[in-house]
Amino acid sequence: MNRIKNSFNGLTVVKVLIYAFFGLFMLLPLLSVFVVSFTGEPTNLLGSLTDPAIFNSTLEKFKNISLDNYKRIFSGKGYFSALKNSLALAFTVTIIIILVCIPLAYGIARTKMPFKKTISALCMIPLIVPTFISAYAFIIMFGRAGWVTQIYNALGGEGMLLNPYSMAGVVAVQVFFFFPYALWPLVAAFKVSDISLEEASQNLGAKNWFTFIFVTFPLALPGVISSALLIFTVSFSDFGSPIVLAPKELNLLVVEAYREISGFFNWGGAAILTVVMVIVAAFFFYLQHLYTKGKNYGSVSGKPKQQKLIENKLLTRVLSGYSLFVVLIPLLAMLSVALQSVATTWGKDLLPSGYTLNHYKTIFSTSMGNIQNSIMLATGALVLSVIIATFVSYFVVRQNSAKLDFIASIPLVVPGIAFGIALIQTFNTMPLQLTGTAVLLIIAYTIRRLPYMVRSTMGSMRAIKQDIEEAAVNLGATPLTAAITIVGPLMLPGIAAGSVLVFITVIKEASVSILLAPPEWAPMSLAIFQNILRAEYYSAAAMSVVLVVLVLVLQGIANIIGKKQRL
Amino acid sequence: MGSVKIKNMTKTFGDFTALHDINLDIEEGEFFALLGPSGCGKTTTMRCIAGFENPTSGSIYIGNREVEKIPANRRNCGMVFQSYALFPHMNVFENVAYSLNIKQLNASNPIKQMGIYARLLTKRFGKYPDDLKKKVMEILEYVELENHAERLTSELSGGQQQRVALARALVMEPAVLLMDEPLSNLDQKLRHSMRNTIRTIQQDLGITTIFVTHDQEEAMSMADRVAVMDKGQIVQIGTPTELYSNPSTPFIANFVGTSNILKGTVEGEENGFTVVKGEGFLLRSSTKAKKKEVDVIIRPEHVKVEAADSVIDHATTNVIEGTVIMSTYLGSIVRYDVQVGSYQLVVDTTYSSGANIFEEGKKVKLTVDHERVLLI
Repeated sequence: MNRIKNSFNGLTVVKVLIYAFFGLFMLLPLLSVFVVSFTGEPTNLLGSLTDPAIFNSTLEKFKNISLDNYKRIFSGKGYFSALKNSLALAFTVTIIIILVCIPLAYGIARTKMPFKKTISALCMIPLIVPTFISAYAFIIMFGRAGWVTQIYNALGGEGMLLNPYSMAGVVAVQVFFFFPYALWPLVAAFKVSDISLEEASQNLGAKNWFTFIFVTFPLALPGVISSALLIFTVSFSDFGSPIVLAPKELNLLVVEAYREISGFFNWGGAAILTVVMVIVAAFFFYLQHLYTKGKNYGSVSGKPKQQKLIENKLLTRVLSGYSLFVVLIPLLAMLSVALQSVATTWGKDLLPSGYTLNHYKTIFSTSMGNIQNSIMLATGALVLSVIIATFVSYFVVRQNSAKLDFIASIPLVVPGIAFGIALIQTFNTMPLQLTGTAVLLIIAYTIRRLPYMVRSTMGSMRAIKQDIEEAAVNLGATPLTAAITIVGPLMLPGIAAGSVLVFITVIKEASVSILLAPPEWAPMSLAIFQNILRAEYYSAAAMSVVLVVLVLVLQGIANIIGKKQRL
Repeated sequence: MGSVKIKNMTKTFGDFTALHDINLDIEEGEFFALLGPSGCGKTTTMRCIAGFENPTSGSIYIGNREVEKIPANRRNCGMVFQSYALFPHMNVFENVAYSLNIKQLNASNPIKQMGIYARLLTKRFGKYPDDLKKKVMEILEYVELENHAERLTSELSGGQQQRVALARALVMEPAVLLMDEPLSNLDQKLRHSMRNTIRTIQQDLGITTIFVTHDQEEAMSMADRVAVMDKGQIVQIGTPTELYSNPSTPFIANFVGTSNILKGTVEGEENGFTVVKGEGFLLRSSTKAKKKEVDVIIRPEHVKVEAADSVIDHATTNVIEGTVIMSTYLGSIVRYDVQVGSYQLVVDTTYSSGANIFEEGKKVKLTVDHERVLLI
C-alpha cells in the first residue's frame, strides 16, 4: 500500500491526465473514424461505455460491418479518382518543386550570386501566407480578369495564361508557396557535402557540369529525397488551395471529404476518405523518417570547412535572375492582394479604377469580432499547448517515455481536414457533445500544433541537467514543485519560441477552422474563406492583409526574443 | 543531526551488480569518506542514502528512522553535488533560500502557497519574511559570501560556487551532509584551502558528513574514518592511520599511498620474526603470517639506502642488495627505483642539502626494519 502511495505523486497524476487528453481527443476520434469507415454510420464509441442502450446499438452496427466503403474506393469513379488525383497532385508538385529548388539552393549555398540576401529574405513570404490566401491571390493575378491575363492578352495571347481554377492552378500555387519547405534542407545538403571531392573531380579533368551531375548532386541526394518526401506529405494534406481553386469536376481527397461531411452528412464516406488520407500521409511521413534516420547527410564533420563560393559571372547572373523570378511570384501575389484591398473596383483594367480605405473600415467595424476570435482562440490553444508540451517533454526527456514521444508526434501525419472530421464525428452526440463549441476548436488547434511546441520545449529540456532537478528535490521540493519552480523557468526560452510558432500557425489554420468553428466563434481564416466563397473579394483582401500583418508582427517579436536570448 | 546505518544493502541495475552487501555504521558528528576508483559504487551508495536510487535489498537508517520508504524530498539530507547544481536562474540569495521557501510552502495554506510560488518564480513579488532573510544572510556570512547575495551564480568563481552549494545544503539544517566529489572541479591551490574550510565547518557544526572521493589524499587528510570501496564492495573501513599502516589487502596498500608489493613464501619463524623468501630477497617481518603464500608490503619511505660497502647490523633490520636504476630529485625527497631480483622497488629518502645522491647503475644496500615489513 505504501509503495503505491509513494509512486502516486503529483507528476503521475499529470501524466495520467496527459494520456487521457490524447486518448480522448486524438486516439478515440481516429479510432472511431476507422470504425465508421466499416459500419458506414455514426458509431458512438464513447457513449457505448457510459450508456448500455448506446452500447447495444453499437453492437448492432458492428453486425453490419462491411467492406462496402473500401470497395467503393477501389472500384468505380468517385473516391478512387479522388485518391488518384490527390496522389497525382502531390507527385507533380513534389517533382516540380525539387527541380525548381535545386538551382536555387545551389545558388544560395555555393555561389556569390547577386541579391543573395534579398532572395533569401523573400523566401520567407510563402511561409507566412496561408495557402487559401495565396490561392485567392492567384485568382487576382491569373483569373479571367486578372492583371497577368490582361498583360498576356495585350501581348497577343488567347484566353488565360494559366487557368487558376484547374489542376494546373492548384499545382502552381502549391509550387510557389511550398518550395521553401524543400529549399532550406537542400541548401543545407549542398553546404555540407565535401568540396574537396568536387575539387578532386575537377583536378581529374572533369568539366564543371560533369562534376555537378556526377559528384555534387549525388552527394546532396539524401537531402533531396528527404525534402521530396516532406513536400509530398505537405501537398497531399493541403486544404487551402484545393478548396478555393479546385473545380467541381476535379476530385481531390481533401475537397471530397469536406463536401461529404459539410454538404451531405455522409459519415461513412467521409470516414473512409479520412482513413485513406491518414494512411497515405503517414506512409510518406514514415518513409521520410526511415530515410533520414539511416543517413546523416554525408560528410558532416565538426571542423568548419572553408568553402570557396563560385564567382563565375555568367553562372551567378543566370542563377540570380532565375531565383528572383521564383521568389518574385509569391511577392507579386501578396502585393496583388494588398492592392485589391485598397481598390474601389479592379477587374476591367490593368490597375484599379480608384483607391479607398473603405474595405478596411468595413472589416474593422463589422468583422472586428473575427480578429478577436482568432486572437482568443490562438491564445487558448497556446496556453493549452504550452502546458501539455512542457510536461510531455519532461516525461520524454526525464523518464524516457518513448510512448508519449510517439503519441505526441502523431498529429504531424494527420491531415487537418481528416482530424477535423474525426473530431466532429466523435463529439457530436452525448455524453460529450462538443461539436460546435470553441472548446473543441481550441483542442483541435492545440493537438494539431503540439508537435511544434514539443520540439521546441524538448530542446530546452535536454539542456537542463538532471542534477539541477535532483538538487531541488534534495532541498525538500516534491518532483512537481521542482518542475514548476526550477525546470519551468529554465525552459522559458524554448517555450517562448514554440509559442510564437503555435500562435502563428493557429491564426493561419484553414481546414480545422472551416470544419469546426461555430458562427459565433468564426476566426479570420474562416471569415476570409467565406468572403471568397461569397465573392466578396475586397473585404477578403483587406482581412487577408490584416492577417498577414499580424503574422509578420508576431514573427518580428519572435525574432527580437530570439536575439535577446542569444546575447 | 544523526547517525547513518546501512545494513546488507545491495543494488543491481539489470544484470549489473553495482553494490554488493554494503554495511556501514557512521556515528553522529563523524566525517566519513567513501573512497575508491571510479565505478566502485561510492556515488551509488551516496545516491541511495539521498533517496535518488532505491536499494534492491537491505535497509538504510538515518538517525533512528528507516528511510527506505521516505522519498528523497523528505529525507533531510543536504547534498553538495559534484557540479554544484546551482539554479542558474536564481541569484545566490535565492539559491540558498530555496529550501526555506519549500519548507514554508509545505506548511502553508493554498493562498499563502500562491505567494510563495510567486516569489520562487519572479523577482518582482519576492517579499521574504525577515526571519527567513536573516537565516539566509547568516549562513552566507558563515561562508563569507554575504557581499555576493545579489549576484547570479554564473558570475561567481569556482570556489565561491562551491561555497554557495555548501550554504544551500547547510541552511536546511540537514540530518546528514552528503558531498559528491566536491573538490574535483577546483584547481590545485583552491582545493587545499577548500579542504580546510570544509573540515572546519564540519567540526564547527558537528554535522554528520559523508564525503565521496576518488582522491586518497583528500580522504586521508579530511575524514575521521574512511571506507575504501572496490567493485561494489567495501574492502576496508578504518581511520586514515589504520588504513595506511595496516592495509587489509594489496589493493588498499596500493590505493592508500604508494607501496612496494612483493610475492613471497613463508619459510618459518626465527626469534619471533616471520621469515619470508622471494625472488631475490629474504626478509624478516614482525607480522604473524596467516598463510604460506603472502604479499609483502613495504612503504617507500620506510626503506633506507646505504652504500654497498657499509656495515649494517642484521639483528635489528633487513638488508637487501640492489642496483639503482633511476634517481629522481623531488625537492625535499629523492626517489630511487632500485632493481632487486626481478622487482623494481620504489624508495623515498629525505634529502638534506649536500648529501650524496646515488647514481644510476650503482650497487646499494637497502635496509628495512622488521616491523615495517607487512605480510598480508
